[in-house]
Amino acid sequence: MQETYEPKILGFLCNWCAYAGADLAGVSRFQYPPTLRVIRTMCSGRVDPLYVVEGLKKGYDGVFVFG
Amino acid sequence: MPVVEQLLDLAGVGKERLQLCWVSAAEGQLFANYVTELSDLIGQLGPFQPDNFKLELAAVETVLKSTRIRWLMGMDRQITEQENVYHEKMDSEAYQAMVKQAVAQEYEKGLILEALTDGPQSVREIAGKTGVPVYTVSLRLNDLERAGQAQFHKFEGTTAKFVLLAA
Repeated sequence: MQETYEPKILGFLCNWCAYAGADLAGVSRFQYPPTLRVIRTMCSGRVDPLYVVEGLKKGYDGVFVFG
Repeated sequence: MPVVEQLLDLAGVGKERLQLCWVSAAEGQLFANYVTELSDLIGQLGPFQPDNFKLELAAVETVLKSTRIRWLMGMDRQITEQENVYHEKMDSEAYQAMVKQAVAQEYEKGLILEALTDGPQSVREIAGKTGVPVYTVSLRLNDLERAGQAQFHKFEGTTAKFVLLAA
């Protein structure tokens, strides 16, 4: 049972850094788990701490900020 | 970041559920590694039940919206590396301790405000609901009264009941 559980994670990705990095990861076919739901932000500094709380309230198991 | 981590720990959510990593546009492999590694970490923590943390999350939200914390956020370099208008410079450790204390106090206030949304309550009832000690509740209620956010309502027998004050 424990192995079938898949966490639901919210990801804020900076348009200029991590979003392009994620794109590259896709293009280069690097394997990573499908647990991350991505929101593109224009800068990771744009992410208000309130967004994090909102994400948790909506039932995400974790919130990642990639800059 | 330290503020939000502290709040998540106070709320019992655990700071591990929030992660911040730096990935440049050229580091696709690094990104994939981070996602794999951190997904495993969250997987080990297990599913998060927001319904069990309603009171706590609402309090965290109140804190993050509060003027006091919004003023303090991101001011560390301004205050510890430069000077204020009186040419005073604050020690980094002292500043962090001050912010930590402010966050803890605001969090207690947030909990009290959230508990009071259910109608008039006594100090003891609030303490029971929030897990904040009785004496601390009455201290924070005092602050809230002065800030115009809560008010003494009426006596029920000999116990004083408090209500929220509409902003």
